[in-house]
Amino acid sequence: MRFERSKEWWVKRAIAEGNATIGAGLLARDPASESEIDDQAAPREESRIAFGRFINLMRRRHGMSIEKLADAAKVDASELLVIEEDVHYVPGPRTVYQLARMFDVPQARLMQLAGLTAANDAGLVEEAVRFAARSEAVHKLSPEESAALSAFVAVLGQGEPKRSL
Amino acid sequence: MIDSSTIFLVAGDTLEPVEAELRDGIEEQQLVDWQTQWQPALTEILRELARHGVPMADWPQSWHWDWRQKRAGVAGLLAFPGFSIMADDVTQGLAQVDLTRSARSAEHQGKPLAYVDYLEVAPWNRSDRGNVPRFKGVGTALLTAIAALSVDEGFKGRLGLHSLPQADDFYRRTGLIDLGPDAAYQGLRYFEMTEDRARAFLEEE
Amino acid sequence: MKKTMTLNLTDAEMRVLDDLSTRKDLSKTAVLRQALRLYQAVEVRVEKGDKLVFENENTREKAELMLL
Repeated sequence: MRFERSKEWWVKRAIAEGNATIGAGLLARDPASESEIDDQAAPREESRIAFGRFINLMRRRHGMSIEKLADAAKVDASELLVIEEDVHYVPGPRTVYQLARMFDVPQARLMQLAGLTAANDAGLVEEAVRFAARSEAVHKLSPEESAALSAFVAVLGQGEPKRSL
Repeated sequence: MIDSSTIFLVAGDTLEPVEAELRDGIEEQQLVDWQTQWQPALTEILRELARHGVPMADWPQSWHWDWRQKRAGVAGLLAFPGFSIMADDVTQGLAQVDLTRSARSAEHQGKPLAYVDYLEVAPWNRSDRGNVPRFKGVGTALLTAIAALSVDEGFKGRLGLHSLPQADDFYRRTGLIDLGPDAAYQGLRYFEMTEDRARAFLEEE
Repeated sequence: MKKTMTLNLTDAEMRVLDDLSTRKDLSKTAVLRQALRLYQAVEVRVEKGDKLVFENENTREKAELMLL
């Protein structure tokens, strides 16, 4: 298809666009649909500490370097580093989605933990705090850490969180 | 063989004309741009939003679209043509059309139309949240291409789409008919461009 | 670039083409091009193992269209 329109024709239309952000199409493949996301995302510090710690321990349990995990989960290595080290950092939803898939844990729960959705499940927050307190980011996974990690993975897997719609 | 036309966008800040290219297709270069340039920019926008505590309901709606997968699914199919806009050697916008759909509006009901399956501008061309877009006119140019395709296919410019909330006003302004929210499409509003409206939209100077 | 070809149709086929052309508000060429698009889209799905099924909205009755 060839367009024969003048420069002025296109320019006029481009300007008429104003401040609109144009887009269309069904969110066909939605890793975190609106139903799984709360409107009031209130990141909780406790659970985010646990999130960073969780990713750190899971990565080490799999014997992976940050770079290797980034590669395998198709996420940004620099973002992984920040996730593990900076408790104030809120990761991107896609990153959380990829990590949930990578470590085979429920995506909605991990979203809560990451502070992307409101953790309306008090039990999860409590478990997260306990988990964070029991584990420390050291080089090698101690048996205690390993046990704490296993217990927390089990908690994460317990059903889907209640949704506040 | 991919057809290409010279078109013009405007710079978001100065509104100066910028030469661009409208291509009848989505090829490897566009997919690579999407992966290597759109995605990181989109992640940055989302990170910024999260930091400022913007409710996720207000987030850009298209952050997870995976173009490579979308295009692979329809590779070689006549019913799903794609379009792309290039400027500064980078992909500025992408669209995919579905030619198997029919019109819903009373005026054209049952007649085939060009359904806009996906339409997205590059993250740096968004103007939501007070950002100054690098280029304006990308979305309009894609829509123009699709309306023209509809004419070309004998569909007389009939066009349908499910709008993203931040684009609703633009479509109304452009004269598309608002047929309301569609429960089957996560509540996105369905719009149609009638034959008359398409004629006016494509009218030459 | 479009190529031209001659098509030999029976009267019955011609009537169907005329009818579709009227009902769908398409030229005869546009009807045939649309038919080709749809046929290809269906064929690709069927090749992947999908079934083409028609469902009656009222009776919920389903009928599978057998292709080849």
